[in-house]
Amino acid sequence: MLGCYDFCGHYEWTFEWLRRQGGEPLVRAFWDEAIHKDSQQHATELIVREGIEGMKKYWGHTLVDEGAGFHTTATDKLFRIDMHDCPSKGFLLRNHLEQYRDYCDHCMGWIGPLLKRAGYVIDHQHDHRGHCWWEMRRADDPTPPSAIGAASGEHDVRLRPDWKPVDTYQRATDPDDKA
Amino acid sequence: MSEVAQTPLPYRDTKPAGAPDFYFAINATFRFILKRFGREGLRRYWTELGREYFAPVSAAWQQHGLKGVAAYWDAFFKAEPGADVQVTQAADRVVLDVKTCPAIAHLRKGKREIVSCFCEHCYFLGEATAAPAGFTVRVEGGNGSCRQTFYPVASAPAPQDLSRIKEATAC
Repeated sequence: MLGCYDFCGHYEWTFEWLRRQGGEPLVRAFWDEAIHKDSQQHATELIVREGIEGMKKYWGHTLVDEGAGFHTTATDKLFRIDMHDCPSKGFLLRNHLEQYRDYCDHCMGWIGPLLKRAGYVIDHQHDHRGHCWWEMRRADDPTPPSAIGAASGEHDVRLRPDWKPVDTYQRATDPDDKA
Repeated sequence: MSEVAQTPLPYRDTKPAGAPDFYFAINATFRFILKRFGREGLRRYWTELGREYFAPVSAAWQQHGLKGVAAYWDAFFKAEPGADVQVTQAADRVVLDVKTCPAIAHLRKGKREIVSCFCEHCYFLGEATAAPAGFTVRVEGGNGSCRQTFYPVASAPAPQDLSRIKEATAC
């Protein structure tokens, strides 16, 4: 049986299997069709219907279930996640699992299209070491990303002494929209 | 304590059990691959996943024999939330009496459309993992409860009859 305990391991293996079958377009289609529109349909329904309130409900529940070390910040215009210990990437790092070239892209791969559908854009950075931050704002809100510490104070992942971002997204909704 | 008892699972997490919503993603992955590559493509995915990702499990079974098979499944189901499974080791086999399949139960609770051939994955994945270690598996039942029996290849019964594996339904 395929289990949920080591899900992140066989999920990551599956990205590379799909890439071998149909290249990167098939991996992107998987994140959009299978994860955004099918697996995470509960998140899609909640966030499209309730916006930032829906994000608070969804990520408040799911990140706790997954055992993440994280902090969220919400105003009526912004939803921000500071991820200090990604349970998913952390599992892969601890178990030395790396088949696909950039596991972290999968989050933008399903969250990006979801947020686009809900009318939001994303500013985001990740470091491939289990740390990242996300800021979601309405697409018609031109506010730039917050300065370090301005939105989430001491919880801002960018204050970590080991913070070295690898990928940056600005007002993005597509996994290939790296700045 | 033996090595088997210490490390029955090849990949370890910091939390004792998985997040059950990941069953939604497993079911969605099967549906995506079925739609793109058909039933044979999905079976090939399961087989290659068993051979490659679960290669450390095969190696442990080869080293520890039926004791290793039983230790693995006992630890596996302890980490799957909602599972009710009895693992029994006999001289010539290991039997998994799956009274409540945690995946099917959670998919039903979430009112998800379950891929009808969902339960076949236990055969194809199990067989691909077992074969390199000299074992084979037979699956009977499904759709929420089943019996899976792992035998040494030398004492295997007739080949798996796929019609003995039930189609999964949402209720």
